[in-house]
Amino acid sequence: MPANFAPSAADYLRILPEIIMTVAGVLIMLLEGWLGENKKRNLSVQTFVAFAAALVSAVAANGNPGLSFSNMLIVDGFATFFRVLVIAVGILSLFSATQYLKREHAESSEYYALLLFSVTGQCIMATANELIMIFIGLEISSIATYVLAGYLRDDKRNNEAALKYFLLGSFATAFLLYGIAWIYGTTGSTNLSTIRIALLTPGSETNVILAGTAAALMFVGFAFKVSAAPFQIWAPDVYQGAPAPVTLFMSAGPKAAAFAVFLRVFMTAFGPITSRWEPFVWSSALLTMIIGNFAALMQTNIKRLLAYSSIANAGYVMVAIAADSQIGVAAAMFYLAAYAFMNIGAFAVVTHFSRQGEKFVNVEDLAGLGWKQPVTAALFSIFLLSLIGVPLTGGFFGKFYIFKAALDANLVWLTVLGLLNSAVAAYYYLRILVVMYMKEPGEATLSLQPVGVGIAATLWISAVGTLVLGIFPSVVLNFATASSALVK
Amino acid sequence: MTALIFLIFACIAVFCGISLVVQTHPIASALSLIGVMGSLAILYLQLGGEFIAMAQIIVYAGAIMVLFVFVIMLLNAGAETPTFQASTFVKYLGIVLLVAFLGLISFIIQAALPKTEGVVFGGFQGTAADVGRKLFTSYLLPFEVTSVLILIALVGAIVLARKEI
Amino acid sequence: MNLWLIPIFPLLGFLLNGLLGRRLPKAMINLIALGSVALSFAWVVKTLVGLGPIETKYIEHYCTWIQSGTLNISVDFAVDRLTAIMLMVVTGVGLLIHIYAAGYMEHEGGYYRFFAYFNLFMFFMLVLVLAQNYLLLFVGWEGVGLCSYLLIGFYFTEQFATTAGNKAFIVNRIGDFGFSLAVFLIVRQFGTLDFTKVFDAAKGLPAEASTGILTIITLLLLVGAAGKSAQIPLYVWLPDAMAGPTPVSALIHAATMVTAGVYMIARSASLFSKAPITMDTVAVIGLATAFFAATIGLAQTDIKKVFAYSTVSQLGYMFLGVGVGAFSAGIFHLMTHAFFKALLFLGAGAVIHGLHGEQELGQMGGLFKHMKITAITLFCASLAISGFPFTSGFFSKDAILVAAYEHAPWMYWVGVLTAGMTAFYVFRAWFLAFTGDYRGHAHPHESPLVMTGPLMILAVLSLAGGFINIPHFLEPMFAERAENQGLAWLSAGVGILGILLAYVFYVAKRGLADSFAKAAGGLYTLVYNKYFVDEAYDATVVEPLIEGSRTVLWRGVDAGLIDGTVNGVGTRSRGIGSILRLAQSGNIRSYAAWVVLGSIALLLAIGFSGGLR
Repeated sequence: MPANFAPSAADYLRILPEIIMTVAGVLIMLLEGWLGENKKRNLSVQTFVAFAAALVSAVAANGNPGLSFSNMLIVDGFATFFRVLVIAVGILSLFSATQYLKREHAESSEYYALLLFSVTGQCIMATANELIMIFIGLEISSIATYVLAGYLRDDKRNNEAALKYFLLGSFATAFLLYGIAWIYGTTGSTNLSTIRIALLTPGSETNVILAGTAAALMFVGFAFKVSAAPFQIWAPDVYQGAPAPVTLFMSAGPKAAAFAVFLRVFMTAFGPITSRWEPFVWSSALLTMIIGNFAALMQTNIKRLLAYSSIANAGYVMVAIAADSQIGVAAAMFYLAAYAFMNIGAFAVVTHFSRQGEKFVNVEDLAGLGWKQPVTAALFSIFLLSLIGVPLTGGFFGKFYIFKAALDANLVWLTVLGLLNSAVAAYYYLRILVVMYMKEPGEATLSLQPVGVGIAATLWISAVGTLVLGIFPSVVLNFATASSALVK
Repeated sequence: MTALIFLIFACIAVFCGISLVVQTHPIASALSLIGVMGSLAILYLQLGGEFIAMAQIIVYAGAIMVLFVFVIMLLNAGAETPTFQASTFVKYLGIVLLVAFLGLISFIIQAALPKTEGVVFGGFQGTAADVGRKLFTSYLLPFEVTSVLILIALVGAIVLARKEI
Repeated sequence: MNLWLIPIFPLLGFLLNGLLGRRLPKAMINLIALGSVALSFAWVVKTLVGLGPIETKYIEHYCTWIQSGTLNISVDFAVDRLTAIMLMVVTGVGLLIHIYAAGYMEHEGGYYRFFAYFNLFMFFMLVLVLAQNYLLLFVGWEGVGLCSYLLIGFYFTEQFATTAGNKAFIVNRIGDFGFSLAVFLIVRQFGTLDFTKVFDAAKGLPAEASTGILTIITLLLLVGAAGKSAQIPLYVWLPDAMAGPTPVSALIHAATMVTAGVYMIARSASLFSKAPITMDTVAVIGLATAFFAATIGLAQTDIKKVFAYSTVSQLGYMFLGVGVGAFSAGIFHLMTHAFFKALLFLGAGAVIHGLHGEQELGQMGGLFKHMKITAITLFCASLAISGFPFTSGFFSKDAILVAAYEHAPWMYWVGVLTAGMTAFYVFRAWFLAFTGDYRGHAHPHESPLVMTGPLMILAVLSLAGGFINIPHFLEPMFAERAENQGLAWLSAGVGILGILLAYVFYVAKRGLADSFAKAAGGLYTLVYNKYFVDEAYDATVVEPLIEGSRTVLWRGVDAGLIDGTVNGVGTRSRGIGSILRLAQSGNIRSYAAWVVLGSIALLLAIGFSGGLR
């Protein structure tokens, strides 16, 4: 038993972002009753204030790093990076959702509360230093996301997406939990650092085999959450079926958080048995890239296309994990940040364009967008170019660092095949560009309304983020590199 | 003796678990679930987890199951009628895959675990006092955060079930 | 010296025209677009005058771009003699083509858009040339590719223009794949991307240790160069790229961007010269491209296609030059080619403009009396490309051929044969267009001064440009070249023979050509259809790839889910029954089966790798 278990003030400061968001989530649900029907707009403002406060406190917490709550949580650069990232994703998905909810007549406090809770879960994942905390954070994030995916409950597609996501998600989480049980049985602990020490102890050969199995089981759970092959199969259906702003959120926030715990667990706890898990991370990375990119070639629905693109991008991050080095961790962090911006931007355009009931979600519908709304199209082009990996965008540097890390780790063939994959990827992103600029506007484009404030804010922030990461990558990369030495 | 009790109740748990999935009538499924819970509680007790065994009986087999049965009665749900022709191929494939998966896991356990060390029955500090102390010291944070998890589950259920958004 | 000003002017032009262009009058757009390039040109001249003879490389450091671990990449621009030549060519020829374009594009829609892209292209090209490390060069490299794509697809209402743009972009991605891999390997090998540091380190490498890795790096760089500079097997995009407006073909697909590959190889001379296998590959690829493209050029009937294949062929010459180690000769030809090929395209553009869009040689003829300036300037360009004595092409092409002879005589002979064919098809086009009787239906007219002015300046450069002694100028950077007057005159003689043959076939004895084509039969069809390379690529690469993704990944992995799945398998999920029904949908079960299958595979893998038996 710890000598002094009463949490100190520093402990509370380190968990302040989560406290703020939880309290705000509860308050917002209470407030809705007080506000009149026409004041629902205020809810989004309050949500934004909560996010902003959480962002500030997350940054402030970084000034006071360390373990807290009996080693349950750890606040370090890595945690702060992902906390800031997921809160930023939360803010951007809030911006893009307001208009959408109004248009679907579905504005209510629960949406905002669930968004806040989901981000809370992701923050917990980012700071967790204990498998139990990881599991609870993952569940908070996931359950909130399941519900958000089925939010428009009168829409059949929403229902189907939510149900698929929920059932398969629970199924995969069971594997994760089973893996946690295995590792507890093997090492007698759920604390990441303790597990590491136990595995490093000489003469524990049995442990290594059992821990390898535990790693494989936990990999199933994590790979499912980040939609890495062969557990990617749910993603296209769910991304396509969920409401566009929720897809936007899901493809960036929960994914980034899942990668954060993935990195922490595999680098810290399973660090001593790298030779065991590296081969399957390696092959999963390759398979993910291939399935994502080649299946995307055929898609006609833009949400589905971006879903496959999201799978392919998870593959690139897996390459960075397979590199199993500090540079690899930094590269994965950078790429996830860049990916969050460009992907959110792309989905924001889809949110804007799809109109009520998501009528227009085919690639062909975008015909002539370049002439009808040049600014939107130009911003969309930036996101697509970044996804292709053209220089001066965040996507380029992300890929650059990842493949550099892979090459440094002697993963020559993975690098070659990954680069070939990203050459293939150009094709389907280019198709969107061609349709936007080189086709006569069709019915879908001509009836387009001007961009609303929320979407415009999302688009501009994402575009600036994408370009800043592409032109001045050092700022983010330096922070990522400095915090990539995970606490062991 | 302990090994025999373990085997008996483990078998009951597995059997009830399968029955839970296979039964077509909701009430039968619910009763099978009680069987699973009960036998699990006994296994916990054997390991020395007194508190968790009691909680299992009181909370799961007691309170939660009552709710389940209550809801089933309220909705007056009869035997499930298969309206959707599910692919039988996938069904049998699933069974084969599960068997393969469990076989693999047991093979690994067989091969990797040293034969000399078995489970030590009752070698676990699991009294209410122990659990309570842990929950309010080392595991304070997960304990509190779990309440957020439950809150979200509640909100989610309401969002998905109510008529108007 | 403020080198950064050179690219920044066109960038400003791009921003102004791109953001405000829709609301600006044409005169203003012209002023911004042309003015920015003119300022850039002026700054280049001022810089070069200020730097004097540039005995050593002049480097300007601006900021550190990336600092990650030991890797330090900064934003540096540098000028040495090689860069000086490129800068003059890019801004000088670029300025002339901008002026010409102001006349040519006058009646086209999207005027501001065209010039915005054009300026953006200049920006990236100048970054490419000024870059002092591989990463910055890559930025320019990708940027020019993007602009090229946008400008090829400029006439987007035409289906072929869009397809051509796509093709260019995607083929270039294959090249970029090689290039980026090479960049990674350079970082890995040398720990830096800075040119000076990499080349110094490469010089220090012991010969036996260096050949392996340097050969791989340079071969990968060659893949990139072959993509950008349209060499076998990646040349297929360039002829199609002629779908863009003619000034684009002149600037991007003749004078500047496509020569970036040659520039990059010359820039990396220190690496290439230590990898003899790569050097031979470069030379052979260049020679093969020169020869095959020339044979295709013999049978083309579209005036721009003729010049397009001639561009591919001339780029092949440049590759041959750098491949046999005559880097200065390659760059020399790059410069003269920029003059005469830009002129050929602009002249062709003037003809097309005068005929209201007609490009078929069959619909021309007798245009000499209608457009004298165009005809005469084009004649000068044709002489230059044929290597007629004392024109610019004579000096540069022969510098390459002589160097090739020193390397391997057979290369020289193939090169000479190609030179003969080049002279033949270029003059064939000239004779078909300007002599004989007019065969079309439009009313031909001469172009305005804004277009003919640049033609005349370029004509002077094409004729006299060879007297700028580039090999001598580049001597401090690259080794001394071989001299052989006799060989030079021989190839010039073959060129003249080609011109005479064209005269006989298309002026003196018309009809001879047709009977020849008939006699050649299958061979003619083969050449006319460009050896069916496009069709072969479609059949062997494109179709299998698409079919593969369709059948394997779509039908298999995605299980026919394109429009079937997510439209609500069940109806609304009220009540337990309907939820269960949804859960029973075959999909969720099979998806769960996938998850179990995946975990079994993982466990098996970890079991085997873990030494479990």
